[in-house]
Amino acid sequence: MNAMELIALTPVLILTLGATTLLMVGAWHKQVIPLVTGGIIVALAAAGAALLIQPPVAEIAGMFGSGPYARFFTLFWALSAALVLALSIRYIHEQTIPAGEYTSLVLFAATGMALLSSATSLVGIFLGLEAFTLSFYILIAINRHCDFSAEAGLKYLVMGAVATGFMAFGIGLLYACSGSFHLPEALHGLQTGGALRPWGLLGWGMLLVAIGFKISLVPFHLWTPDVYQGAPTPVVSFLATGSKGAVAAALIGLFASGPSGWGDMTSLLWILAVLTMLVGALCALMQTHIKRLLAYSSVVHMGTLLVGLLCQSRDGLTAGVFYVVVYCIASLGSFALIASLADHGDEPGALADWRGLGYRYPVRGGVLTVLLLSLAGMPPTAGFMAKFAIFHAAIQADLLSLALLGILASLISFAFYLKVILTLFTPNEAVAERHSGTGLEHTVLAICVTGVLLFGVVPGLLFDLIGRILP
Amino acid sequence: MIVPFGHVLAIAVILFVLGLTCTVVRRQLIMILIGVEIMLNAAALVLVGASAHWQQVDGQLFVVLLMAVTASEVAVALAMVFYLRHRQGSAVADDFNRMHG
Repeated sequence: MNAMELIALTPVLILTLGATTLLMVGAWHKQVIPLVTGGIIVALAAAGAALLIQPPVAEIAGMFGSGPYARFFTLFWALSAALVLALSIRYIHEQTIPAGEYTSLVLFAATGMALLSSATSLVGIFLGLEAFTLSFYILIAINRHCDFSAEAGLKYLVMGAVATGFMAFGIGLLYACSGSFHLPEALHGLQTGGALRPWGLLGWGMLLVAIGFKISLVPFHLWTPDVYQGAPTPVVSFLATGSKGAVAAALIGLFASGPSGWGDMTSLLWILAVLTMLVGALCALMQTHIKRLLAYSSVVHMGTLLVGLLCQSRDGLTAGVFYVVVYCIASLGSFALIASLADHGDEPGALADWRGLGYRYPVRGGVLTVLLLSLAGMPPTAGFMAKFAIFHAAIQADLLSLALLGILASLISFAFYLKVILTLFTPNEAVAERHSGTGLEHTVLAICVTGVLLFGVVPGLLFDLIGRILP
Repeated sequence: MIVPFGHVLAIAVILFVLGLTCTVVRRQLIMILIGVEIMLNAAALVLVGASAHWQQVDGQLFVVLLMAVTASEVAVALAMVFYLRHRQGSAVADDFNRMHG
């Protein structure tokens, strides 16, 4: 590692060193506001570094890329971390969560996401994934006042540990087949592996199982609703966006990085995509808890993303990146809204609690409506453009049946998003008083809604950018 | 290499399946974690074997990284088991099933 590589690594270094510093400071000074503000500044500094510093080398230590794709996602996860921290301040103050640990863990998780999204080797993928998974093990269980938090932490830990085992073994087999960890060579080795090729395919399958656990593809999705329900809401807003988005970004990078050696895997991915979309949508219909409902909604979204990857075309991958970005903005906004209504840990969970809240808090009711419509894929929100781009690419790539099944799943999804919106605006005299939200929380919501509407009305902005950064 | 590469892979797969069975069958959290450890050791075995097969050092370097990651994972996991046992008086996976839907 030389000075050039260190310069290219600046955003990640800022995040790591900042997180370590805050962890140390937090051991002596326990005031919430200075610590979390410090965390927000560190995250914004990292985002600024990713935006401004032109990396002098194309690859760092043969593990992480530093091209425009990596920089874009580093910037995006650093900004997400800043938003998550901004909406955490009141929450961790009320729940007496240690601020130093919380802030530094969120920053460490953002580091892992940035590394994972920019990984160009299997080692990079493993290390990035583990970096944020380990942070989330603690973050999910960090709320000592809630029994569900500990239980959710346990579920994520057991599932995550098994997924780690699958990922390590899969990487081992891919290396055994190809003799290289570097992605283009590893994938090339998969094509020409000779006698070891079956082992390589098994390894790729195991890697897929691990990725399936992380982005909760059916049948590896069972932990998702429980963890989302039990974990502290600001943490869920990061878990639903960052951890899934970073794995999805790495997967897109994997598909973009060279000739596909997984011709035999497409049928498996096809089945996973269809199962994920349909089972996710049908399960979501039966949910009566908003966080579980959003958990299943995220399952459906990841299935739809797989459709974009299956196109195996540049259009499909561009649509995939657009989809990830838009999904993250809308999902972060929805969980931020739940967090802004929470008062000393008492937040509206069951759908019955939401009855009439739209009249009591009209602005935030409207915000949630816009965000849910984006998740559902209604024009003029960005969600519509994202789904349209994915299905358009699928039809262009002769995947008509897959596109039709995806559109069917989207139609089913409409039903449960609509159910929430209708509940929100059902007249109810006995609507409970909720917290009115702090200025920072409203800012976060405003940013998310602006993003969703902006990219819905002028999607070209983001599409052009993605077209330029995609490797 | 004295041992044929196929044998290394076979042993590793057996180890992995044993570890996976352990995580699925056993209900004690500690046993589940031991199962995961066995799965990770199977992965390390494949990496070392492949490293010898390709006459490269990369695989062995990755094993060192894997050990570090495993150690931190175990540290967090044991802390979590301790915390749960302290809090709810149980370290059996089936006792943690209060969320449904």
